[in-house]
Amino acid sequence: MNLPLMNRRSGDGKKRVTSSVAGSGTVDDRYEEGRLAQRQADKWLIAGALLIGANGVAGTLGLPLFLWGLKLQRDASKAGLTVRPIMVTLIGYLVIVDAGLNLQGWILDMVANHSLIYRVLYTAIGNVMDGGYFWHYNQLWIGGAAAPGEKGWEFACILVVFPMRIAAAIAFLQMKRWGQQWLLVTCWFGVVIWVGYVMNMTEYADVRYAHVVFPVLGWWIFDIMYITPFLAIPYLHTVNRDIFSE
Amino acid sequence: MSTPTAGQQSPANGKSTDEDLAPGTTKQWAGLHKWLKRGLMVCLVGLVIEGSFDLPFLAIWYGWPTLSMHDICSELMKVRYNNESLECQYPYRFPGPPLSGAPEAAAVDTARDKWGIQPVPEYPRLGFRELVRMHDERIARQNAANNIAPHP
Repeated sequence: MNLPLMNRRSGDGKKRVTSSVAGSGTVDDRYEEGRLAQRQADKWLIAGALLIGANGVAGTLGLPLFLWGLKLQRDASKAGLTVRPIMVTLIGYLVIVDAGLNLQGWILDMVANHSLIYRVLYTAIGNVMDGGYFWHYNQLWIGGAAAPGEKGWEFACILVVFPMRIAAAIAFLQMKRWGQQWLLVTCWFGVVIWVGYVMNMTEYADVRYAHVVFPVLGWWIFDIMYITPFLAIPYLHTVNRDIFSE
Repeated sequence: MSTPTAGQQSPANGKSTDEDLAPGTTKQWAGLHKWLKRGLMVCLVGLVIEGSFDLPFLAIWYGWPTLSMHDICSELMKVRYNNESLECQYPYRFPGPPLSGAPEAAAVDTARDKWGIQPVPEYPRLGFRELVRMHDERIARQNAANNIAPHP
């Protein structure tokens, strides 16, 4: 992993000397110490993110692991080690989890729409808050949700947006410049998706919300948690880009 | 955009210095980054809660454990297509649609809709565990029609 370079590239050099004096060894020793601390934290963060992304009850097991990884990283940062900024970690992992959950949900609606678990889960959730996943479910030739336009969004996001965003987020977590730049691009894709998707839902509001249990507000309460890419945009525009490596 | 680096900034009014800021966060944007972090934590916890509890919540709302998952699937299908004779096929042949064959509701034409350029579904709104009541009532009706005495 390429670690934050701010103090090594952009500082005036005095900081480096100070940190090596305050630490237990040379700059290289401290750098190695930071690398190991980051690696240790990442093991917990990856395990936690995988469980959260696996959905279901596994998520409740994943959250403590993820938070423990964040704590390890914060402790390392407080100890003066060169580790990834917490914000980069949070955004990188959350964007992956967010994209992974969306990807999983939409791929399953596309190819696993006749499995019992997803026929129950999707048509039930559709009946609760989004009729697009209930109305004429499994009647289109491709199966799954039949709401006008839905399959178009699914296809575009499965093939283009989410894989691209996950790739960018991995590079972002590795503190690579292209990761930051492409995360910015794919998070703006997210704005296009949301605006287009919400307009599509509004256009066909009867299909989406007529006779569902919690119309409109239910959808917003559920889906607002997927705005991670929106929260990433202001950070990506205001972060000091010197911390990313070429 | 040229963003000042931590090394170029100096403490203002003797308050917190850039030494306190995370790498990548300049003093100018420290407040924004703090609030974004809080928002991200809310989303993280929210996603975990949703991911963990949506299936159990839905299963209970729609009648589990009184109804099995297969029953719920079938009851929802009956409501969706306004047709009591429909049953969820389970297990479904593999590979099913869209990889092979038509989807299970391809030939069903009993759904009630107000058709037009903007179709309006006319299935009923389902309340908490209403599927259980509908299921039981239908079974009782069918038993009565077949003159089968209810279980004592």
